[in-house]
Amino acid sequence: MSSKSDILAALGSVALAKHPMPQVEIAPRLDDLIGQFEASLKAVGGTLVKEDAMSALQAKVAELVGEGQQVISQVADVTGNRETPEDPHALRDINYAVIDGEFAVAENGAVWVTEQGAGIRIAPFICENLLLVVRADSIVANMHQALKQVDLQSTGYGVFISGPSKTADIEQALVIGAHGACTLTVYLV
Amino acid sequence: MATTTTANHAEKAEIFCRDETRVDWHSKALWLLRQKRDRAASSLPEWEQLRELGSEYKLHTLSHLGEYLEQFEANCVKQGIQVHWAKNGEEHNRIVHEILSKHQVKKLVKSKSMLTEECHLNPYLEQHGIEVIDTDLGERIIQLNKQPPSHIVVPAIHLKKEEVGELFHEKIGTEKGASDPTYLTRAARQHLREQFLSADAAMTGVNMAIADQGAIVVCTNEGNADMGGNLPGLTLHSMGIDKMVPNMEAASVLLRTLARNAIGQPITTYSSFYHGPKPGGEMHIIIVDNGRTKALQDELLAESLKCIRCGGCINTCPVYRRSGGYSYNYFIPGPIGIAVGAQQDDTNTTAWACTLCGSCTYVCPTKVPLDKIISYQRRLKAEQGKLPYGKERYMPMVGKMMGSTTMFNCAMSVARFSLRYLPHSMLKPFSGAWGKYRELPKAPKTSFETWYNQNRSK
Repeated sequence: MSSKSDILAALGSVALAKHPMPQVEIAPRLDDLIGQFEASLKAVGGTLVKEDAMSALQAKVAELVGEGQQVISQVADVTGNRETPEDPHALRDINYAVIDGEFAVAENGAVWVTEQGAGIRIAPFICENLLLVVRADSIVANMHQALKQVDLQSTGYGVFISGPSKTADIEQALVIGAHGACTLTVYLV
Repeated sequence: MATTTTANHAEKAEIFCRDETRVDWHSKALWLLRQKRDRAASSLPEWEQLRELGSEYKLHTLSHLGEYLEQFEANCVKQGIQVHWAKNGEEHNRIVHEILSKHQVKKLVKSKSMLTEECHLNPYLEQHGIEVIDTDLGERIIQLNKQPPSHIVVPAIHLKKEEVGELFHEKIGTEKGASDPTYLTRAARQHLREQFLSADAAMTGVNMAIADQGAIVVCTNEGNADMGGNLPGLTLHSMGIDKMVPNMEAASVLLRTLARNAIGQPITTYSSFYHGPKPGGEMHIIIVDNGRTKALQDELLAESLKCIRCGGCINTCPVYRRSGGYSYNYFIPGPIGIAVGAQQDDTNTTAWACTLCGSCTYVCPTKVPLDKIISYQRRLKAEQGKLPYGKERYMPMVGKMMGSTTMFNCAMSVARFSLRYLPHSMLKPFSGAWGKYRELPKAPKTSFETWYNQNRSK
């Protein structure tokens, strides 16, 4: 307790004048949200499927399962071949994860995924390839609108995912596929 | 930390500058980041508005910091998160070690956290028999190379791919001579995946802590924070008190500027909101002061705590780009490193590793007045009687000379005469370090004042 009270006591004499809380008053760009999202997703290395996306996804997953790929699906009407384990380490050999995103963001191609949607927190990261399902009418313009939609009180963990994992730590050369998924496909339904 | 052998900024920069090709390459690589940043910033018509909002939210939070920290802690506790407070680095390290030893942790995976660099956590834990694996690719490279980060966002920017290839060949068994970044990154992915899967606990830094939610936000491109944080049951997150924001709206502003200003991306690949332990797990947050409350007692230094560690000021800095991250005598280099670290530089030189051009202040997403703070750091050094050798002698003389019209005019006549009639080889020693790589200027025939009186005064 003493370090806490020392820190709080020291904060009693901050030299800054009290500043009021600002307000965000920025008009969102609402034209062609799907087009904006598609362009943003492409720029961050992701792929968008928007024509007949649910059937395309079901066909893709059926094909993957047929090939013997390890697929975990949390999406209704899409059947994988793996159950959600209690121990996240059990997913070490997952090739594909199929997960519902709650909504998407036009300005940066991000999709909001919660632990409820993912089934288990590690799923969207440990898979080699990530397939996200997002409703076309759920796209918001920017992060101000996005964070208004996020209800953290109903989840212990949520993440905005914008494209596949990447790094440029070796000589600034962009490499897709660092520690998280190496590919990301968004199915717009 | 104080040793008599510490080299000053210019001496360390000289070591970096010995390899001219590398300096050119380093400067260009960083300038490329600045250009990407400019494209990302100019694509948003509201960019300047976002900078202003970022600054205002930070000033609001810092001027109400005690209240927000308490609100944050209360909300975390409600979610089952355990919160610890540390006055300094030692206390932080002790708390971390206590938590880890209680759980018999042998291996800790860590994602990027400049705070744990600041606290020297890795050596502390290693002394206590805990293996620490840095998992950000750049951090892993420098950890294997036994070096500190040379940049806060791209920590291995000083190394060429051939050097990384050589290092990986030796340490993780990649093919000899291989230097393709994709090949090396894939090899690191395999190597680190084993580490993630065998770790007993994970630790991350914090980009933002949201007071009214009791949540922390962690941003990475690689996914290393989440691969670590979502595998073992035990996770720890260290944050400086300056990471606080009041609410989600404030977070939305900073999430729009952070990655754009750092590397020109619209947002990092992953922006994760940790809001409670995973089922059956434990989540700890360690809130650290370590000198921050002291900085807050000074109106100008307090503004340095608005920083969100995007590294934009470092990328644009003409001195950093040509002197490298190891010349600053502080674990954070560049303008922000001088602003928050100059008082700890016992060579008393890094505050002068700056041209006061102001480019850093111009790009800062939260409007930290970096050039003003750096200039102020010089003033503080002078007031403490710690001006570097030379400056202490000649600056008061220069001040007197420039303060007197007669002495100034006289000195300038002598200078003009000397530059015109004496050999430059004789004068060069008087120009000090400035003349080392420059020719002396051509002197005008008269002073500006004389010229003005003759030509413009009527």
